[in-house]
Amino acid sequence: MSVSSGTTREAVIEELSRLGAIIEGIERDTLFVTVKRDVLRDVAKSLYNLGAYFRTCVGSDEIQIRGYLALYHIFSFDELGLNVVLRVDIPKLHPSVPSIVTEVPAADWCELEARDMVGIEFTYRPVKRLVLPEDWPEGIYPLRKDFSYDSRPPPKQLPRPETNKEVGLPLGPYHPALHEPEYFEIYGKGETVEDIVYRGFHVHRGIEKLAESRRVTYEDIFYLAERICGICGFVHSCCYALALEKAAGIEVPERAMYVRSVLLEIERIHSHLLWLGVVAHILGYDAGFMHTWRIREKAMVVAEILSGSRKTYGVNTVGGIRFDLDRDRIAKTLNYLKVIKEEFTEFLKILLSVPQIKSRASGTGVLPRSDARALSVVGPVARASGLYRDVRKDYPYLAYSEVSFRVPLYTEGDNLARILVRVDEVFESIEIVRQLLDKIPEGPVRAESREIPPLKKAVAAIEAPRGEDVHFIITGVGRPYRWRVRAPTYQNIPALRAMLRGTPLADAPLTIASIDPCFSCTDRVVVYDRVSGRCVRLKLTDLAGG
Amino acid sequence: MSYVKLLRVAAKVGRVTRKYPAEGSLVTEYFRGTIEIDPAMCWGCGACALACPPNSLTTKVEGDRIVIEYFIGRCIFCGRCADVCPKEAITITKNFEHASKSLEDLKYRVIHRVSRCSRCGGPVGAEEEVRNVSERAYPVKASLDLCPSCRAELLAEALAKYHPRRSR
Ligand code: SF4
Ligand code: SF4
Repeated sequence: MSVSSGTTREAVIEELSRLGAIIEGIERDTLFVTVKRDVLRDVAKSLYNLGAYFRTCVGSDEIQIRGYLALYHIFSFDELGLNVVLRVDIPKLHPSVPSIVTEVPAADWCELEARDMVGIEFTYRPVKRLVLPEDWPEGIYPLRKDFSYDSRPPPKQLPRPETNKEVGLPLGPYHPALHEPEYFEIYGKGETVEDIVYRGFHVHRGIEKLAESRRVTYEDIFYLAERICGICGFVHSCCYALALEKAAGIEVPERAMYVRSVLLEIERIHSHLLWLGVVAHILGYDAGFMHTWRIREKAMVVAEILSGSRKTYGVNTVGGIRFDLDRDRIAKTLNYLKVIKEEFTEFLKILLSVPQIKSRASGTGVLPRSDARALSVVGPVARASGLYRDVRKDYPYLAYSEVSFRVPLYTEGDNLARILVRVDEVFESIEIVRQLLDKIPEGPVRAESREIPPLKKAVAAIEAPRGEDVHFIITGVGRPYRWRVRAPTYQNIPALRAMLRGTPLADAPLTIASIDPCFSCTDRVVVYDRVSGRCVRLKLTDLAGG
Repeated sequence: MSYVKLLRVAAKVGRVTRKYPAEGSLVTEYFRGTIEIDPAMCWGCGACALACPPNSLTTKVEGDRIVIEYFIGRCIFCGRCADVCPKEAITITKNFEHASKSLEDLKYRVIHRVSRCSRCGGPVGAEEEVRNVSERAYPVKASLDLCPSCRAELLAEALAKYHPRRSR
């Protein structure tokens, strides 16, 4: 539960009004609020003190429609199941707004992203480029409407860096074979991690921009969204669907909601098993890796049986799903799940009795509860640090209110806790799918009326395997006016600093992996020894080997 | 030492991988793979190309021909083309093995003769489609030999005749 439980909707509204915010719309699960720039920080602070989590912020160019740039800060009250969307209007000529990072540390990245992509300047904070590459020309903002999706401005000339005698051979981070490269610089003192610096966004694909372009339609974005993540893509496709359908007021038939929920849980099962295998591999237990993935393979087959594809299910459409499930598919799914459960139960006993798994995971990479909350971490990372947060319970969507399941909670905050949360969740997910398939109602799978009026807004969230995935949409004509995606890893990576500082270097790979970033991305780190001043680049697996 | 029990598990499950390609792939009967277009069924209407999310299917006019091209290299096996095809000319197959040294091997074309506008000579659509539509939808027959822009122009002229702009 959040820090100060006992807040009510009314109290939130009252507090917002007291601070001079204007409530523009009250929906079932979302308050749309406008605030002036000068009170933004007060409002953010008081929401945070009332127990709100920070979800993300969204920069949006609304010059064509309202004459302003806009910044949306999205807060949420888990125990009320309530989103609060604060909109600040920012004049085009002086596009500057006070930052809220002092009050809400979790806003760090998304503010920088809004600065890069939309050209909103922030005061009260240091700024630097986050998403755009260093050689991107100044003053060109890709998410402004006057920037065409297919234009390529000539790169800015950068001064050549002076070369030292000692040169690190940069083999990363642009690893051609891996999706989502990330890059960490770990500063060490002897064997201890002193600090870590993360550089990401090397493969920013401009998906949000593409989704606004003439090139795509509402219908195409399901396929685009599904390709945001190489592991849990269906989450994004569903989250986009939920946001769009909520904004447009489309009533999705119950059966479609059940099918979507089933596939989301199948995806969680395969994702957690994949991760568990990778953890075994990092800890040098490759036999465990093989067997976890052997069991996981059955989850992939189930996905193929249900959707026609192992990974990119492609079943969503505006207002429902494209094809129905029949009895044969359901029966096969249930059989496979039974086998997965048996095999995983048996194998788990073995895995957890391997000495290096327990000893290397317990007590390492600890994320204290207070840090977890300040950074608004999500998913298994939050639940392993004692924060009871699960979108499926807090903001029930699709068919999750129809099934009973437990949210595993551990308080240790270490790597072992993060392993156990996911292990427990595999079993819960199997039970969820069983209940859903048992209860699935008959009926149509696609809404009759599928009109999408322009300029409607909505926030939707889904509990992805890695935590809360948030999509924000402003509808347009034929395609979204603005579509913002905040994947869970975005929220969790900043917590790595808290987990790694002061810990032994050898634990770093496991800890980095423990937040379950799409792992192959974290392939390379730079180790900089502060004592000798020596700089070496290593593979994470080298580190794991000692 | 209970982790040694893994040996028992391993012995029980045996080998799970297959000697692919000798033993065939592991795809199930539910798999959605590449598509096949039946040229005898296809009208050349281009609906599939409009619906195809990654532009794997495209239409272009080449001289007197309308070419529906399926480039497998871009196909994401979503099956949306089959959903929208009015002629059910598209079948979804279980095929996914397309490794090739030549890009051309990954392109499949259905070629239609283009029907020309009787007014300006511009392309109207595939002959096959125009003929079939005019057989079925009698009321629009009159304008089916016109290209969309001529049709719009003639309509505007006709409207102007019926509603002449009031002079000041
Ligand atoms: S299956 Fe999908 S991607 Fe492939 S051609 Fe058809 S619509 Fe295009
Ligand atoms: S939609 Fe069907 S009939 Fe039309 S061009 Fe495509 S395959 Fe041919």
